[in-house]
Amino acid sequence: MVKFQSSKKQFLFTFTKNFLGISLWIPALLFIEQHVFSIGSIDGRSMKPTLNPETNYLKRDKVLIWKWNRNFHRGDVVILRSPEDPQKLLVKRVLAIENDLVKTRPPKSTRFVPVPEGHVWVEGDEQFHSIDSNQFGPVSAGLITAKIIAIIFPFSRMRRISDDDMRKDVLIRSTNS
Amino acid sequence: MMGTFLRVPVSVLQVAAAVHQIHEHFFQIQMTSGPSMMPTLNSGGEFVLLDKYHGRFGRCSTVGDMVVAAKPTGPRQYVCKRIIGMPGDVVYTDPVVPDTKIKVPKGHVWLAGDNIMHSLDSRTYGPVPMGLIKAKVIARVWPNPGWLSNSLEDYSPS
Repeated sequence: MVKFQSSKKQFLFTFTKNFLGISLWIPALLFIEQHVFSIGSIDGRSMKPTLNPETNYLKRDKVLIWKWNRNFHRGDVVILRSPEDPQKLLVKRVLAIENDLVKTRPPKSTRFVPVPEGHVWVEGDEQFHSIDSNQFGPVSAGLITAKIIAIIFPFSRMRRISDDDMRKDVLIRSTNS
Repeated sequence: MMGTFLRVPVSVLQVAAAVHQIHEHFFQIQMTSGPSMMPTLNSGGEFVLLDKYHGRFGRCSTVGDMVVAAKPTGPRQYVCKRIIGMPGDVVYTDPVVPDTKIKVPKGHVWLAGDNIMHSLDSRTYGPVPMGLIKAKVIARVWPNPGWLSNSLEDYSPS
């Protein structure tokens, strides 16, 4: 019985030591997940056909999210905090950056909107199911939290995000190169 | 042998990562600068204690709270102002210009500095989306330690 007890104690000691050793790495892993890259799944259909072309809830796309870089270019698909509800995250594409002049998209009435300094114009690729800058106007670039760089699941659609499905008639005038 | 050599840098990394998590999600001490919050905050700069947990995205904030937010016209600059209006409130945009009111849109706040004559705030860049609010300022740390509380009261003219 004595032998059994000491081996149990020894097990507990080793287990606790290893557990503490591993848990000391948790903040470092959290740092990577919050500031470098992470994996997420997409809800909603506003970015069809680029993301979530199936309407089946069980077949949501899984994507690779890049958080390190804070420079956003036209054509990037980004995650941003909704200007209407700070608890919600939206996935949209950046169509125009500061100092561009944008033509809004039907079915909203056609207007020309200048994008102020520090702001971007975001739209979902899907014309009729997207609540985006056509509704709430240009948004501050500070609301963007991350960039989606690739789809990793399902394997049949694994690829880097490109700007093929971007609306091409959005820019009226651009003062940037 | 490599193990003992790396032990110190690895521990430094682990501690730095843990401290970073505290700064991101709980509390941080930050230096302010500028005259826009006088007399509450010194124009030469003070160290203040930020509450990230209650302040992020304005989640536990109300009118009268002093918050740190990213400047909407960016990039990556921060402003320290007071919340004058929450979503749905009707506020006077400028105490100097009479009779101009605005209704604060959903998901936004109206910010103003305490030193209204020398403050770049919502009068310039409009209502600020709450997603840009990073923290609530809860105390001064140095040189005059003390809690900074929300001392606003409702005023009804008698």
